[in-house]
Amino acid sequence: MTNAPVILTRDLTKSYGTLMAVHGLNLSVEPNRITAFLGQNGAGKSTTIKMLLGMIRPTCGEGTVLGKRIANAEENREMRRKVAYVAENKPLYSYMTVEQTVRFASSFYSDWRADVATKLLSEYKLPHKRKVKSLSKGMRTKLALLLAFARRPDLLILDEPSEGLDPVGVEHLLQTLVAQSAEGVSVFFSSHQIAEVERVADHVCILDNGRLRVDASLDRLLQSYRRIDLSFRFPPPEQEFRMAGVQKIRTSGNALSIFASMNAEAVVERAHDLNVVSVEVTPVGLRDIFLETVKEN
Amino acid sequence: MLWYKGWLETRSRFLTCLIVLTGFCAVFIHYTQGYLRPEWREDFHRLMLVAHQYLVIIWIISVVLLGMGGLVREKANGSSSLTLSLPVSRAHLLGVRVAIGVLEAITLGVVPWVAIFLVSSAGGMPIQFQQVRFYVLLLVSGGLVYFAMAVLVSSLVEGEYTAPAVAFGLVFLATNLFDLWLRDFNLWRFVSGDFYLDRNSYLFAGTFPWKGSIAWLAVATVMLIASVKVLHEREF
Amino acid sequence: MFFKLNPTTGHPLYLQLMQQIRHAAETGALQDGEQLPGIRTLAEELVVSPNTVAKAYSELEHEGILELRQGSGAFLTLKRRTRSLTDHVQVARRRLRDLIEQLREHGLLDEEIRRAFEAELLYPAEIVRK
Repeated sequence: MTNAPVILTRDLTKSYGTLMAVHGLNLSVEPNRITAFLGQNGAGKSTTIKMLLGMIRPTCGEGTVLGKRIANAEENREMRRKVAYVAENKPLYSYMTVEQTVRFASSFYSDWRADVATKLLSEYKLPHKRKVKSLSKGMRTKLALLLAFARRPDLLILDEPSEGLDPVGVEHLLQTLVAQSAEGVSVFFSSHQIAEVERVADHVCILDNGRLRVDASLDRLLQSYRRIDLSFRFPPPEQEFRMAGVQKIRTSGNALSIFASMNAEAVVERAHDLNVVSVEVTPVGLRDIFLETVKEN
Repeated sequence: MLWYKGWLETRSRFLTCLIVLTGFCAVFIHYTQGYLRPEWREDFHRLMLVAHQYLVIIWIISVVLLGMGGLVREKANGSSSLTLSLPVSRAHLLGVRVAIGVLEAITLGVVPWVAIFLVSSAGGMPIQFQQVRFYVLLLVSGGLVYFAMAVLVSSLVEGEYTAPAVAFGLVFLATNLFDLWLRDFNLWRFVSGDFYLDRNSYLFAGTFPWKGSIAWLAVATVMLIASVKVLHEREF
Repeated sequence: MFFKLNPTTGHPLYLQLMQQIRHAAETGALQDGEQLPGIRTLAEELVVSPNTVAKAYSELEHEGILELRQGSGAFLTLKRRTRSLTDHVQVARRRLRDLIEQLREHGLLDEEIRRAFEAELLYPAEIVRK
């Protein structure tokens, strides 16, 4: 198994008139990992994914998926053989039955696993002969996901996969992602559900207004980001703490609350130099990292 | 399994049109020929022409409807992301859709005429196979332009009702405009037999206009190639 | 053996898992030579990335608490280094217990004690870790 990035983009940009949906994206998604693509609605996640799959043409920049150029129709098609993708709207053909849908999808991929398909059909309790248009939203979501999960692709791309699923469904989804990853499938999923990402993601990319703001392993993020609360006997000198890694400083009376993406020790050291009265350093969860990152603008 | 999908998508339209067309032709011929006697040849041949006119109208409506659908329609329905993620090119997707449509269009031209042939023969009428073949070939070779035009329109225009409205509008417009300025190139007159029928015998005299036929098929092909290009450029 | 990982605390999951395995080894919940679940099995059970489990196991192997046998799985080994480490931990915990009692007598709340520990722990810790 190669160690080349499964997704690699260079300055990938998409603009609609004056609106920049994706701005100079340099993404590098490593294989054999679960990578989460976090961002608010409208941040550019779906646009990015559609560019990767050849549905939207980049305004400029380039990218490869599994080593194949995304802007080359022939190479993109070749790559799609080994990529399983479920779009945000969980697309299906309303006039097909569950059975017909599964047969249809299976006919295109050599990595289809009929035993897994059968297992999932019964686990999800999907009625074989019922037409898609008569299925509930939850069932349609599960069927759409099944079409990807019954395969063993090199790369699994999911756009907001848990939307439309009840908590049991979400749990099942996460279990499946973990199982796929264990089998060597690289997983790339976009989400705005922090709770899911926190549990299963190895690597996190945060997209905000079309730009990549954070691109790091989740563990490293959790080990570097810190909230540092300082108390002084005098109104604290904010400017003393504007150092590398400090993202936000809030003042209230004699107290400072600092949000740092790294270098927390340097902040603490500076605080001690300035005769700080109390120091409190707390780890920061992904939710706060995300909120602070997107609120910055 | 793109053929199967295409069949599922078009089969109601196709079968409905087939039943309507065939039923109409059979019933029409059966009743009207009841007023004729086998020796009234010209009257019978004229009846053929009249039947064909009706057939052409319904056939054009049918193939325009059959030409609807495709990726642009799927985008409105929400399934385009699934179809476009398949490891097949857009040209291939269109190709299968077109192939199914062409086969259905040809069937819609042949089967009603077979019905006419059978009903007329049963009624002892002087129906000639050669004439039937002429009618069918005119319809299918020229008529596929209407289908190709519908495919092109469906690749450009979104909207479940807008696309067919535009297509029918174009048919109407083109037919009338051509009649005003380019009568000799009016496809409607080609397809309905107007150009090649002898006005006395109401029979097709002379050889089949292969050149014209091929020319119209070329026009249809150009429209289909344009559709491929349109789809290629389009973003989903 | 049940593990409970909490993703929202800001504490990396692999570290939590490592702590819990170490704790189990220290208290005897996991015996020397006992086999831990396979990476995939544990990942699916806890619903965390297999890489998380793999990283935890790998680090623990580095520390000498686990032995990863190719093809068989992960086995607990309380090697001599670890055994003495366990003793160190026992001693440390006794000292901590006394210290915490003292701080409580001074009127500190448990939350305050915990925060103080975290703040002081952070001070030079990062350098040692790397």
